[in-house]
Amino acid sequence: MNGLEVRKLSSKTILWIILAAVVVLYGFPFVYMLLTSFKAPIETIAVPPRLLPSEWTVANYVSALSRSGVTASFVNSIVTATLSTAISLTLGLPAAYAVTRFRTRLGRFFIVAALVTRMVPPIVVGVPMLSIFRNLGLSDTSIALAVAHTTISLPLSIWLMSSFFEAVPSELEEAAKIDGCSRLGALWRVVIPVTSGGVAVTAIFAFLASWNEFLFALLLTAVRAQTTPVVIANFQTQFGLDWGSMTALAVVYSVPVILLTLLLQRHIVAGLTLGAVKG
Amino acid sequence: MVDRAGGLTSHPRRPAGSTSRTRLTDRRFAALLMLPAGAFLAVFIGWPLLQFVIDGFFKIAPIAGGPREFVGFGNYVRLFQDADFIDAAWRTVLYAVIVVTLEFVLGLAVALLFSALGNASRVFRTVFLYPLMIAPIVAGLLWRFLLIDNFGIVNELFTRVGVLHSSTDIQWLSNPNIALFSVAIPDIWLTTSFITLVLFAGLQNIPGDLIEAARIDGARYSTILFRILLPLLRPVIAVALIVRGIDAARAFDVILIQTNGGPQSSTETLSLLIYRTMVRFGDPGLASAMGTVYLIAMLAVAVAAILSIWRPGSEEKR
Repeated sequence: MNGLEVRKLSSKTILWIILAAVVVLYGFPFVYMLLTSFKAPIETIAVPPRLLPSEWTVANYVSALSRSGVTASFVNSIVTATLSTAISLTLGLPAAYAVTRFRTRLGRFFIVAALVTRMVPPIVVGVPMLSIFRNLGLSDTSIALAVAHTTISLPLSIWLMSSFFEAVPSELEEAAKIDGCSRLGALWRVVIPVTSGGVAVTAIFAFLASWNEFLFALLLTAVRAQTTPVVIANFQTQFGLDWGSMTALAVVYSVPVILLTLLLQRHIVAGLTLGAVKG
Repeated sequence: MVDRAGGLTSHPRRPAGSTSRTRLTDRRFAALLMLPAGAFLAVFIGWPLLQFVIDGFFKIAPIAGGPREFVGFGNYVRLFQDADFIDAAWRTVLYAVIVVTLEFVLGLAVALLFSALGNASRVFRTVFLYPLMIAPIVAGLLWRFLLIDNFGIVNELFTRVGVLHSSTDIQWLSNPNIALFSVAIPDIWLTTSFITLVLFAGLQNIPGDLIEAARIDGARYSTILFRILLPLLRPVIAVALIVRGIDAARAFDVILIQTNGGPQSSTETLSLLIYRTMVRFGDPGLASAMGTVYLIAMLAVAVAAILSIWRPGSEEKR
C-alpha cells in the first residue's frame, strides 16, 4: 500500500463511517428493488411507500415469469450473448495478438480504428444493419443480433486482450518455437493458456455487453429473437405500469450477472482497469 | 512456469521481427491474423456507416424499398434550421457534462477514500462494482421507480427527514426544468464505479515515497492532491473521462425508459431525437444527416480531448 493510507486511528474511524454510509447509499437502490419485488402487487404502489414488504410473497415473480414471451426471451438472451461472445473471442484473440506481438504499422492503424468504432453511436449503424440482415434473410434472428452485439464487444475485446498479451514475455514463444511449435501453435498452445485469466475476463465483458444491450435488440428483433431487456421495456407500454412484475423480472435478469461479478471480482477489476491504467 | 515468466519480464524486450530472415513473413502473418476481425468491422460497422452517411443526402420514403430522391445538402440545411435538433444537441452536451463531472468528483472522492483505508477496504470495493453489471434499461427503470412522486421512496425519505413538506414536492421526472438532471442519476449510479476503479488503480501505481516525501516537507492533503496526485493521474483521468464522456453522449436506454424524451422534450438528447425521426416520424434521410453531424462532432471532441489532455509527444510510459 502506498503513502496515501491514513494511520491515525481517529481519522481512520471517521473515514470508515463515511465509507459505510457511501456503500449503504450506493447499494440501496438495488436492495430496495429486491424488497419491492417481494411485496404484494398492490403494495408496490402504496402511498406512502414502505421499505419492507408487510407480507413476503412471490406473486410478482409468478406473474412476471408466466407472461407469454418472457421465458423465450431469456433463452434468446442466453443464446445471443453466448454466440456474440464466441464470435468476439474467435475474431478478437488473433487480432489482438497480432497487434501486440508484431507491432506493424498496420497493427497500429488497426487498433486505433478499433477505438474509433467504439465511438460510433449504435443508433447510427442500427438501421442500415436492419436492411443488411433483411437482405441476408436473417431478420429477427439471434444470429443477426449476436453479430450486431459483436460490433460493440469486438473492439473492446481487442483492446482488453492486447493489454493481457502485452504482459506475456516474447521469450516464452521463442522457446515454444525452438521446441518446434509454429507461430499459430505458439499462440494456441502457449500464449492463450498463459493468459487464460485475461481470456475469461474478456469473455465476461463480451457476454455482459450483449446481455445488457437494448438499442440493437429493439431495432433488430421483432418477436422471435426478442431479448429480455426489450421485454422489460415493453412491460410499461403494453400493460400499464406493472411495477411489481417489472421489478421481479429485473431482479431475475440482474442477479445472475451480479453473482458472477462477485464471484470473479478480482479478475473483473483487472479487466476494467488494465486498459486505462496501462494505456 | 510462472516464476520463470516473471523472471523473464525484467529483461529488455527484443524488438519484434529483429531477425531479418522472418521480417516480411511476420508482417504478413500479423496481417492475416487481423484480417477476420478487420473484415468483420468493415462489413458490420464500416458499411452500415457508409450507407448511413449516404442516406443523409437523400429524401427517403419511410416504407422499405420506397422511392429515394437525391437532395444534396438539403437535409443538412433543414436540420441546422431545426430548433429540435439544435436543442437536442445542447441537451446532449449538457447531459454528458453533468454525468462526467459528477462521476469524476464522486469517483475520485471514493477512490481517495479507498486509498486512505488501505487493503482493509477490499470488501467494499466489491460492493462498489455491482451496478456496472446491471443493464442500463433496468437501472433506468429502477430509478424511475425510486424517483416517482407519490409512491417513490426518495421523496418519501426526504419528507421523513424533513427536507420536503410532502412527497410530491419534487417532481423529478415530470418537471421539465430538472428532468435532464434526474435522468442522469441512473447513469451516474451505474458507472461512477468505473471511474473509482480506474482512479484507484492509478493511485496504486503512484510511488509511495513521493507522497511520503511531500508529507515530511509538511505538505497538506490538498497540496498533495492537486500538486502530486492529479498531475500524475492525468493520463488515467484522460482515458476515463473520454470513455465515459463518449458513452454518456450516446446514452439512449436510460433516458428512453425513464421519460422517453419528455416532458416537453426536456430530456430529448440526440440519440432519442434521431431514433424518433427515423422510426416514428419516418424521415430516414433527415435522421441520417443528424446522425452524421452527431458522429462527426463526437469524433472531433474525442480527438481534441485526447490531444489536449494526453499532450502529444510526451507519450505515457508503461
